[in-house]
Amino acid sequence: MGGLMAIIYGGLAIMPLFVGGVDYMMHILIMILIWAVVASCWDLIMGFAGIFSFGQVAFFVIGAYASAIVSNKFGIPPFFSIFIAGGIAAILGVLVGLPCLRLKGAYVALVTFAVHMILEPFLKGHMGRAIGTGGSRGILTIPPINIFGYAFTPDNKVAVFYLTLVLAVICSVIILMVIRSFWGTAFLALKDSEDFSASLGVSAFKYKLAVFALTSFLTGMVGGFYAHYVGMLSTRMLGIDLFVTLMIMLVIGGIGQFPGAILGAIVTVTLNEMLSPLGPYRPLILGGLVVVLVLLLPDGVIGLLRRIFGGKRKTREAEA
Amino acid sequence: MLEAIHLTKKFGELVAVNDLSFKVDENQIFGIAGPNGAGKSTVYNLITGFYPFEGKLLFNGKNIAGKKPHQIAKMGIARTFQVPRTFPSLTVEEALSVGSRFGDDKGFDSEYVDFLLHFLDFEEERSRNTGALDLLGKKKLMMGAALATRPKLLMLDEPMAGSNAHEIQELMDFIRRINEEMGVTIIIIEHFMKVLTELTETLLIIESGAKIASGDPEKVTSNEQVVECYLGDAYASDN
Repeated sequence: MGGLMAIIYGGLAIMPLFVGGVDYMMHILIMILIWAVVASCWDLIMGFAGIFSFGQVAFFVIGAYASAIVSNKFGIPPFFSIFIAGGIAAILGVLVGLPCLRLKGAYVALVTFAVHMILEPFLKGHMGRAIGTGGSRGILTIPPINIFGYAFTPDNKVAVFYLTLVLAVICSVIILMVIRSFWGTAFLALKDSEDFSASLGVSAFKYKLAVFALTSFLTGMVGGFYAHYVGMLSTRMLGIDLFVTLMIMLVIGGIGQFPGAILGAIVTVTLNEMLSPLGPYRPLILGGLVVVLVLLLPDGVIGLLRRIFGGKRKTREAEA
Repeated sequence: MLEAIHLTKKFGELVAVNDLSFKVDENQIFGIAGPNGAGKSTVYNLITGFYPFEGKLLFNGKNIAGKKPHQIAKMGIARTFQVPRTFPSLTVEEALSVGSRFGDDKGFDSEYVDFLLHFLDFEEERSRNTGALDLLGKKKLMMGAALATRPKLLMLDEPMAGSNAHEIQELMDFIRRINEEMGVTIIIIEHFMKVLTELTETLLIIESGAKIASGDPEKVTSNEQVVECYLGDAYASDN
């Protein structure tokens, strides 16, 4: 896992050598890194812990708004406010996780998606405006991240790219360490059989809330980072497009096949851009492609790589 | 070691366990039998904290009512399930490690996991996926993972179901060794009377959640009421 991750991020790290001058390409690369983290978090909670949380986009948007509001209202430097945003997302993540402990499968998806659905009217409504979301206009001025007097503005995309890369690598290493530690084993055990795990001493309460807290923290933090990069926010992100795109990343990368989600982000974002001349046919082609991929590559790109290089088979595809 | 006092569990109108009292002594093999639906597995679910109940459950003198399943596991009560459970995402070694890591209050012990792999004759299967094991393998895996928590009390739920004569013999030897060599007290739910009479020191028969007989297995199995509830009254009066 670690080796493949190093190759992927290493490959991305040298991209500015070739396309550093093309703003559009650099923007795509930055977004690949951001979505890679969000998709990896989603993979951790859904693919490993088996919790069908559909609230990942919501936590991303919560983090983005929280960081923008905290830095705008209280003058807290964005470098710190993104961590505060992560903390706020984590607290909300635990609050959403609590009712989910008593639910199974699809019901968890409903509860978590409800958070997603509530978020837009909340941000646009009176309560949202009162805390500074700007209502349906959104937030138009968000300060860039500033480290030792150096502002990471969209005008200097190569610098922003490397900062994003550092953030993405840190988040991915955290996820990798969690998966490899006994935490990861507990997640898999709970996913496979909750009563068997409980009878062996695994606390579903503790580990499920922990995975909600961790994935919402990282997702919220990256959301905050995104807000300071693009400099403005609206609720448009809560549309179904982004949600579906993230899901495609997971499917292409392979669910529960970390670091497949990172590869999924690269492939999906690139495909999405390449298909853009097709206009309204783009989602159609993308959707069709997903159907074909799911049928041909049930374990995503990682499954394909494993088939080519004959690596050891593990996780879901048992020899049974 | 384990004492149930007026244990009662109602699911709505249905009384699954009805004022049941029994006592399991340290180091013994204690059998529970009864017709299907008598509430045997429910008793297990009460002892291991899966359902709340009325009455008292004392484990080494401490009341364990209200404790969560993972807390009960840490206290030293382990169990297996009637329908085999495995962890298809984990290997045999990892599955045993789950028990050792989370259920043993002394923490993870890789040497003990190695010992159990040897004890279960699982050395070849060590890196195999638990989902790929056969039925006997799955049962051994459940027992092994339960043993990895270093239990004082191991509760087996119909371990022989679906096994052939040879496998039953193997499992019986196994259970005896767990009891004798590891000093683990055992409660076993079983339908095979031969297994119960050979293995257990005390046998409890329940029907409709209530006790109908208990004591020495030979005597209990010849009890008229027991024969009646198993085979119908015609058979009982004929004999």
